[in-house]
Order: sequence, then C-alpha cells, then structure tokens
Amino acid sequence: MNALTDGCAIVTGAGGGLGRALALALAPHMQVAGLGRRMEALEETESLAGGNFLPLMADVTDVADVTQAFDTARNIAPITVLINNAAIYPRRDFLDESAASFMATVGTNLGGVVTCTRAALSDMTATGFGRILNVATFADMHPLPASSAYSVSKGAARIFTRALIADIGDRFPGIVVNDWMPGMLATDMGTADGLDPAVAARWGAKLALWHDPSLTGTIWEMAAEIPPARSLKRRIADRVLMRPRPRARQL
Amino acid sequence: MGSTISEPLADIIARQWDVIVIGTGIGGGVAGRALAEAGRSVLFVEMGRAGMRAEETGLDIGLADPVARAIRGMWPDPVLAEVNGQSQSFFAPLGAGLGGSSVFYAATLERPEPHDLDDSPQRPHPTGGWPVSFAAMRPWFDAATGMFALHGEPDPLSEIPCPALIPPPPPQPGDAMIMARLAARGLNPYRLHTALRYLEGCSECLGHKCPRACKMDGRSAGVEPALVTGNAHLLSECSVTHLAREGARITQVLARKGGEAITLNARHVVLAAGALSSPRLLLASGSEADPRGIGNAQDLVGRNLMFHLNEIFALWPGRAAGFAGPSKSVGFRDLYFAENQRLGMVQAMGVDVGYGEIVHHLRGRVAGSWLRHIPGAMDATRIPAAIGAKLLGQAKVFVGLLEDLPYHENRVCHDPEHPGRITMSYRIAPELLARRRTFRRLISHAFRGQRTAFLTHRPEPNFGHPSGTLAMGRDPAKSVLDASCRPHGMQNLWITDASVFPTSMGVNPSLTIAANALRVAAILKDEK
Repeated sequence: MNALTDGCAIVTGAGGGLGRALALALAPHMQVAGLGRRMEALEETESLAGGNFLPLMADVTDVADVTQAFDTARNIAPITVLINNAAIYPRRDFLDESAASFMATVGTNLGGVVTCTRAALSDMTATGFGRILNVATFADMHPLPASSAYSVSKGAARIFTRALIADIGDRFPGIVVNDWMPGMLATDMGTADGLDPAVAARWGAKLALWHDPSLTGTIWEMAAEIPPARSLKRRIADRVLMRPRPRARQL
Repeated sequence: MGSTISEPLADIIARQWDVIVIGTGIGGGVAGRALAEAGRSVLFVEMGRAGMRAEETGLDIGLADPVARAIRGMWPDPVLAEVNGQSQSFFAPLGAGLGGSSVFYAATLERPEPHDLDDSPQRPHPTGGWPVSFAAMRPWFDAATGMFALHGEPDPLSEIPCPALIPPPPPQPGDAMIMARLAARGLNPYRLHTALRYLEGCSECLGHKCPRACKMDGRSAGVEPALVTGNAHLLSECSVTHLAREGARITQVLARKGGEAITLNARHVVLAAGALSSPRLLLASGSEADPRGIGNAQDLVGRNLMFHLNEIFALWPGRAAGFAGPSKSVGFRDLYFAENQRLGMVQAMGVDVGYGEIVHHLRGRVAGSWLRHIPGAMDATRIPAAIGAKLLGQAKVFVGLLEDLPYHENRVCHDPEHPGRITMSYRIAPELLARRRTFRRLISHAFRGQRTAFLTHRPEPNFGHPSGTLAMGRDPAKSVLDASCRPHGMQNLWITDASVFPTSMGVNPSLTIAANALRVAAILKDEK
C-alpha cells in the first residue's frame, strides 16, 4: 500500500450534514464507504457522489452492524482512511436526562468512535499504514447548558484520541491519528448562520488525505493547526536559543 | 495478536519434537532456521509476544510500565545489578519478544579478528584461545554474512577476504565526509557491515523494529524463514522454567504458558535465551543430581560475565565542513590492538550531538561533582550548552567498543524468590580500567588537532552486549561447555547465544553469535 487513495475510506454519519459533505469531497479521490442509520439518506449521498460511494446501513453503536459494514467495505479495498464523524447532539437539560438517555449519547459519540476505530485498525495495523481523523469539538472545555451528554461524550472522544496514540503512536507511526474541529456549521446539528458544510468538508478531506506522521496528535480547527501551548520555561528557552517560533500549518 | 500458535497447544505438548529452541534472538533464530531447513521439526519457545509485523517500535529505556514494555517486545522488568559494590536497578537495552533484542539493534555485524579467538606468541590469548579457531569459524562467518545480507566494505587493515560481503549503497554525504576526514588523519575507515537488505523504500531501521524483512535479525533471518519451511512452529508468551536431566540427556522442558505449567518434549534442546538468561535457566534447573544446577559442578555457570565498555566521544568537524546528515555507517580498526593490548573497534553511532545532548552531558558532569549541591547549577548548564551548540555546530558521535575479559566474580545470579528477574554482580577490573586509559589516550591522539570531547566519563558497561556466562573451553574444570557448545558430558543440550563466548572480543557480538549458531546446528543435525 503506497497511497491512502489506493484503499477504501470510511465516513460515519454519511447520510447528511458534514458526513455527507466529507464523503462527497473524498469520492473524487478514492473509494468511499459511508455508514449511516437511514438507507434513503445514504442513497441520496450516493446519487450526489455519482460513483465511488458505497452506502452501508449501520448504527455505529451496534458492534455487529459495524463489523458487517467494515467487512463489506474491505471486500472492495483495504480500509486506509477512517473519518469518525457520526455524532448526536440532543439538546436536553440534565434534569430531563435519564441515565439511559445520557449513556445512549455516549454510546454514539464515544462508543461509535471506539467501535469503528477498532474495526479499522484491523486493516491498518496489518500494513502499518492508515489515517484516522476524528471530528471533534471544544464542547468539553466550557459545557453549555442543555449539552451535558454531548459535552461529556465528545470530550471523552478527545481523550480517546490521545489514549489511542499512547498505545499505537510509537509502534505504528504510519497510522496517522488526529482531531479536527470543523467549526460552527450550517447543519442540523449546528446553527443556521454557520459555515457551509461543503467548505469545511474540503478542509476535512484534505486533512484526511494528508499522510504525514508528524500530524499524529495535532489538533486542527477549520483550516489551521492549533499549536500546543508552550510553558513559560519552554518559551524562554526557545527565545534564548533563538529557535524559530513554531508555525501553525495551514490546509 | 498475542501468541502465534500454528497448532493447538495440546498437540504441541503431545508432540515429540526433534528440537526445542528456547529464545528467538539471533542465536535461537539462526540455529532453529538451519535445523528446520535441514528437515528437523523445530519448536521455538519465546517468553515474549510474537508482536505485529508492521510495528516500528524503538527500544525506549524510559518507558517504565512492565505491561507496556512487554507489549512492545522490551524486557519488561528492570535488571538488578551490583556494579562495583553499588546496587542499581535499571532497564537494560534488552528485548523480550520475537527476535529478542535483535529486532531493536543497529544491525552492525562485524567479524572479529583472528587474535580474538586464537592464541599466538605475538598476541597471547587471555584464556589460551577459544576451543574453536578463527580458521574453523571462518566458513561460518562467511555463511552468516550471506544469511544476514551484510552490506559494507572490507576492513582495509585486514588481509582475510570477506567474500560474502555485498558492496554498500553510495554513502550519505555525512558518511563520505567523515571517511575523508578520518583518512586525512591517517586512519583506515571503512563502511560498517550492516544487516540491511536495502529493499526499495528502506528507511534503515537501526534502533527500532523494521516493519519488513529488510533489516536482518533473529526474526527476519531466523524464525520467519524457519516457519516458511513448514517444519517449525512458534510458541510465544511461554517461559521455560526448568530443564529435567537424566544422565547425559535433557528429558523434559518445563514451562509456563498462560499461567499453566506445561511440559514439552524433544530429542534436542537448543538454549539461546541470551547471556543474562541462559545461565539462569541452568541454575534454576537444580535437582538432587545437580544441587547447583545443570552443568554447574565447577560453579562456573553464570560466571565470567563480560560487557564491552562504551567509550563515546564527539567529534566537531567544524561549522564550515559542510557535514550533511548524521554519519551512521563508518568505523575503523586502527586502535583494535595497540601497545600490545586488546582494545576494540570504533564506530560512528548515527547521531549528531546538538544542544539537548550537550545539556545532558553537562548535567551528568555537574551531578557527579560538588556543584550538585548548588541550587540552580543543573539549570545553569543550559547556557554554556546553548553557546556551545551555537559556536560548534553539530558534532558526530563515535563509540569505541573496549573488550572486556572474563573474571570469576562477575556473574549472573539466580534468585529463587524471583526466578524471572535478571540479577547480576559486576566489578570493573583494574586491568580493564588501565586498558580504558590507553584506549582513550589513543583515541584523543588519533584526533589531535580536532575538537573532540568524551561524552562518557565514568566507565560505562554496555549492558546490551553481555557474554561469557556459559563459556566454552577445552578443560571441563575451567569451562561450562565443550567445543560443540554442550555442557561437558551432556549429549542433547546445546547453547547458541553469546553465553558461549570465552572472551568478549573487540566487535559487536551478533555476527559471531550467528556464525556459531550455524556451526553448532551443523553438528546437531547429524546427531540422533
């Protein structure tokens, strides 16, 4: 395997919103398999793509569904790219949540990422080559009211990215893993005055097809890398040594 | 992902194997491969995990969690060493997975000199010579050179040809310039003998696992080709605990697999767990007949432990020299035997010294001096280091491998309370310190007029190069093994790791381990 585009890309939540836009942005470059819960929505994505798109009905909270979908996809080509995009954002006061309703959100926003990542790693660890892009948010930093399950689960997914890198980053430097915050989008989950998902998807697809091991662990917001915070000591040392200021990369 | 069992454990246990090979480093891998290719049924027993082929893990001695270390094929636990009477506990550069330490190594397989093995009036050998002469080993050195696809240049100081050596790819600019600089000093540099096949896209996986069969090691040149024959099987995550002896034969191999005690059977046992572990298994195999362990009637098992002393130094070629890229494949033997002393060869280490390394070095010096009591002294080392890095540019780092000699009190011990733990006791001999002074003086002299600095101040044993703990010899009263690498008087127990070395030589041990494993396998395969 020499190029990501020789394999198959999996996009979760491909029946609408950002997921559909990401699938459409990738399809001109490579085979894409889109996972979603509603077949009609996936078929709509397929017709918009005009080829290179395989609709796979699967609920990411269901391990059997995901296993079957990944098996179908890898029959076409080994899975080289995974975009964990599927998420739900129920606007709900915590006093209106039951433990079960809360954990259902966790099941999609964290569980789905875990299930799909584990499935994709079967292909990627065999070759030591792959790309995992997790669609993330800053929702965990300052949780908004009526967003507890979303904030917790999306925050946990960011921790999962780091924990995954702790386990495989040194062993499989060719499996490039990072988080991407697409920004506020004009989708069902976003706001009406948000960004056109097609614009964000162009960045996301470009980032997903960028196979540079130094991207692992980096965080991107829209089209720009967010450099990690430097401690005061570090900044002084860098200044004394006349080291160039770390430059944020752009898409 | 865990163990690779090509047939059910019950069948492996029920089977009478031709050969059980304990350990899958270079010694075990190469011996097992030769025997499998000769049609023998071979069971490799490996304590660590089989791992995944595409892994590129580096040997990280900073990673302390034993579970994380074991998953990555590193020796999981710290070793306990009493060095010059001081107790230390540290992670040694040792592997514990398929391929052993060799999957992490820098793949430098250098042939020793005749005087490393042979006794002569001009160069008397401290043990009277190995029981196998250099001439007898030479065809096996050649065979191992081919098996490990060694690329390099012949040592210009050697008159003995190296027919199987493959010319290396064109040197990197850094290597070419360092060669020219060394030659201008009157030295005789050559391109090191490196076990890389240089397959297309080779990224020279020195110091970390190679994701393809491109770097040749105990896995890629040993176990994997053995498995291809269909005659060999691998049982990983299985620790051998005891060898049962009856008369001159090992009758059973006792092991633990997944918390269960199991018993394995074979006509022959090849022990290649490494020089720090093979003797511990013999010491742990005590019985009424062998109260001190197998082969240990003379109390020699585990003794005569040797390491090389690493003399690491930096050479600043100067900012204007235009040295591009680290130099990793250059060495020379001008100081190998000098002033009638056994010293060793010098090799480029493949790293350039910049700011970080200078800080580390200066801190080491401060920590070892009275300055350590002054608050801030450690941090103050940053400033001269920064200035040094600016003024001097990058330095090339070299290591001199100083030969160690066998001493009875230097030993690996078996701790019955912790049978899996590596415990050793090692004292740096005054004679070794004297040769060290000679070596350092000659290195400084060789680079007179160039800016150089030794980065090692205290003597530093290379814990990745242990040898000698089951030395072979002619006299059963003075050695553990005979010339066929069996304990004196034993018929079916063979040792093929660096334990067998009577002396540590002035080169990296890997080529000699591989060559000796091939030699021993050739004797073994003709035995009943």
